[in-house]
Amino acid sequence: MSGPEVHHLFHHPIADHSFSSDRQTLAVARDSNVELYHRSGPKFALKDELKGHDKTVTGVDIAPNSGMIVTCSQDRNAYVWEPSPTGWKPTLVLLRINRAATFVRWSPSEKKFAVGSGARVIAVCYFEEENDWWVSKHLKKPIRSTITTVAWHPNSVLLAAGSTDSHARVFSGFIKGIDDRPEPSVWGERLPFNTVCGEYLNDSAGWVHAVSFSPSGDALAFAAHDSSITVVYPAGPDQPPRAMVNISVQTLPFTSLIWSGEAEIIAAGYDCEPFRFRGGEAGWELAGSVETKHRPGLAAAREESALHMFRQMDLKGKVKDDTQLNTTHQNTVNTVRVYEQAGGAVKKFSTSGVDGRVVVWSL
Amino acid sequence: MANINWRTIDVDAYDPESATNFPLTTLVPANLPAPSTSAESAQIGQQVRQLLRAGDSVGALQSALETAPLAGDEGAKQVHLATVLEVLQGIRQSEVHRILAEMLNQPGGAALGDTLMKYIYKGMASGAGGSGSKGMSPQVTGTGTGFSQIHGRHFGEGGGGQVMSVLLSWHEKLTEAVGVGGIVRVMSDRRTV
Repeated sequence: MSGPEVHHLFHHPIADHSFSSDRQTLAVARDSNVELYHRSGPKFALKDELKGHDKTVTGVDIAPNSGMIVTCSQDRNAYVWEPSPTGWKPTLVLLRINRAATFVRWSPSEKKFAVGSGARVIAVCYFEEENDWWVSKHLKKPIRSTITTVAWHPNSVLLAAGSTDSHARVFSGFIKGIDDRPEPSVWGERLPFNTVCGEYLNDSAGWVHAVSFSPSGDALAFAAHDSSITVVYPAGPDQPPRAMVNISVQTLPFTSLIWSGEAEIIAAGYDCEPFRFRGGEAGWELAGSVETKHRPGLAAAREESALHMFRQMDLKGKVKDDTQLNTTHQNTVNTVRVYEQAGGAVKKFSTSGVDGRVVVWSL
Repeated sequence: MANINWRTIDVDAYDPESATNFPLTTLVPANLPAPSTSAESAQIGQQVRQLLRAGDSVGALQSALETAPLAGDEGAKQVHLATVLEVLQGIRQSEVHRILAEMLNQPGGAALGDTLMKYIYKGMASGAGGSGSKGMSPQVTGTGTGFSQIHGRHFGEGGGGQVMSVLLSWHEKLTEAVGVGGIVRVMSDRRTV
């Protein structure tokens, strides 16, 4: 196993990042722009900027097959960017929200995307051929506060959302004429738009930072601000879940999580490093950090001569340089994403954070 | 008309769609214990004190934390806070490590640790704790302060120094055992003690 691949892009927080499917292009949200980086050898070089938003960009997502980029921002707008001979061409999306857009993700089918917002709605957006623009339908009903995160089910119909009202919910985002009728699943059989397939609240009830469906789509995990992750195994429509496992940990809360298999979850957040959870319906447990501490390079750099030590004491009044965290990320991790997977198992994942780094980790 | 300070108008009150116009009870889990009153808390306090006097410190602490009036009224919470503080003060410093290890390592112990952390913070927030802050009317105006875990501080009350040092030492040892996660849960949990 090789060490993580670190790309320190700039000294600014990265709100969200996304790799293209060939992993040659990296889109990062920086302030009110989205920057596109291209891989050149071992590094990423700035190639393009998507300018259009006039407030902080909160979400960016590249569709793996079509290559279209969707962005959303606190200016209450979302744009779909398409490549054209003269550069990237933005199309405004009619979100009809009166608060900031907080999060955006393409559905696996790439025909729709969902935008979470502070207006207590989720806008499910799709392309209307006859008018040649992106329109939205609102998921509204039981949402009582800002939507912080959304995640799609593999069938592109079900949508999980986390909110600051402490609930993780599963909705149907079925759009007639766009979606095929989904196969019946543990979440339900008939799924008209805005069906609430599940509404979950854990005991200590922190606001939800991240939600994710398992690779099969039959389980849901969410991370909340009570330093816990909760995994829900639904039993069927209109029934209480078969199992709801809550793991509260000793670290600071997690802000993002992914499933790396049916029995493994990777989560990262305010502790600046990714952690691994393992388990199943019977129970989950924290299996430790993904980061290998005490890297050889780190130890070598710490070895200091007596002369160096006294010089440091003279210059800085201290011997040890304690301005660095001993984690790869030097600040909160905002986003964890799958980078490479083979046969349903995640081989590599990427993280980005407030320290302006994008890191690719091998499992 | 010109005299109205429009900045202080609560605009949410006029908006039926407003986020503040929904019952906060939907934000606490359904498995809360039944609401209780100060009389019930006083009765539990008696039982806990008996355990403490009999020398069963672990049992006293555990039963005090298990019976926390999470859904009780403000009176019940104040009475129970006094009970818990009494237990914490009644346990010798040298025994704290052993008692915490014993309590946290049993099934369901993590939840008790979180509850204990809530009481430590509540004790510190109320200054002298227990009897000292009883006279102050805690202002609970329904939805307004529903999120607040700490109901104001009373500085300069004096006499709380000793309680405070006990609480700080419990806090140090509990943080060693449950990590910063336990502190974060005090802030995010809506089941207040």
